[in-house]
Amino acid sequence: MEFKDYYKALGVERTASDDEVRKAYRKLARKYHPDVSKEADAQIKMRDINEAKDVLGDKEKRAAYDALADRVARGGHAGAAGDGSFQPPPGWDEGFEFHRGPGQGPADHADFSEFFSSVFGRGEQRGAASRAYRARGEDHHAAIEISIEDALKGVEREITLRALENDAQGQPTFVNRTLSVKIPAGVHPGQFIRLSGHGMPGQGGGAAGDLYLEVRMAPHKLYRVEGNDLYMTLPVTPTEAALGAQVQVPTPAGGVVEVTVPPNARSGLKLRLKERGLPGKPPGHLYLLLDIVLPPADTEAARKAYEQLAQAAPFHPRRHLGV
Amino acid sequence: MTAYTTTTVIAATAIGAEHPLAARELAQACGADLDWVVQLVEVGIVATAPLAAAPADWRFDSTDLLSALEARRLERDFGVGLEAAALILDLQHEVRRLKAALQAQGR
Repeated sequence: MEFKDYYKALGVERTASDDEVRKAYRKLARKYHPDVSKEADAQIKMRDINEAKDVLGDKEKRAAYDALADRVARGGHAGAAGDGSFQPPPGWDEGFEFHRGPGQGPADHADFSEFFSSVFGRGEQRGAASRAYRARGEDHHAAIEISIEDALKGVEREITLRALENDAQGQPTFVNRTLSVKIPAGVHPGQFIRLSGHGMPGQGGGAAGDLYLEVRMAPHKLYRVEGNDLYMTLPVTPTEAALGAQVQVPTPAGGVVEVTVPPNARSGLKLRLKERGLPGKPPGHLYLLLDIVLPPADTEAARKAYEQLAQAAPFHPRRHLGV
Repeated sequence: MTAYTTTTVIAATAIGAEHPLAARELAQACGADLDWVVQLVEVGIVATAPLAAAPADWRFDSTDLLSALEARRLERDFGVGLEAAALILDLQHEVRRLKAALQAQGR
């Protein structure tokens, strides 16, 4: 595991004030926001700066991180193997309690690094455990990517949750809990799957929180997703486009449907297969975008056929250009 | 430090018309309280039907949860008010819709 320099991630000095940390975060968050950023690695950068802000923007976590960084700088526990590997020393965070303040929101750390989980996972749990009252555990969030076919038919997928717990000897141990999740048929992108009782454990006999998985669609070789609608490019020959044709089209639910291409169809014409898209309220449609593909003129017969067509159907597609 | 693994098979519920979230559940999922959800409804970040009903009768779907989580992040990370968050979310939604439309058209 690599030791993460959160100050470097935000581009601030160790002496930076809370305000400087906040400003640096906001500037970088705008630069790497996946909706606006042109940077190729925007998503990874955004994760790193979110993680850095989560630690440096919190007094307790920042103090603990600084103390850990000092110990690492003294050469005790980092990079000993020469490969940059890192394990936090046992008991390194004694004296620190991490509390979630109001407005810190749900534990959306699902995307954070292993370094973060190992350093702060236990602290957060202990912080929560220090509450004397009965409290329901917090809800957790993560995302799950599935194929269009699996969304339509339902699928069983394994997800691994990592938590730091104390073993029988009281030593902190990573526990990987693998959940085999039955995702129901008919989920759509942006829909949340709820796993009751699989969030943070409750305190003082309180119920555990829930785990929410946001459904995302994996890129597909045939279909493109827009909301609940699916788009597919449908290649046709000039003859099929000119004269009209019945062509066979695969549907994401499996099976094949016969589609009528109208005569004199133009490239880019959109044909709609009603409610053959992703499920939802209302259900999405499957749109076919016509793409007229020319047969190559690579034989004498093909060249002759094109010449005959030009004679039989004189056609000037650039007339509107006035030249 | 050793790691060990346990496996459990569980059935999941898809949040939607058949399994909506109550206002309290939406608040919990966002690490917030019920008053905050009432504010979300007031500024129109989430929509509930019927609006006239008491918060205890409100029901929300996945779209509302996504918007509420985004609003929570904007509040926490940028210190914006909920009215500004509503505008940012509308613009973000439009950018995503247009990008998806372009991609769907193969451009």
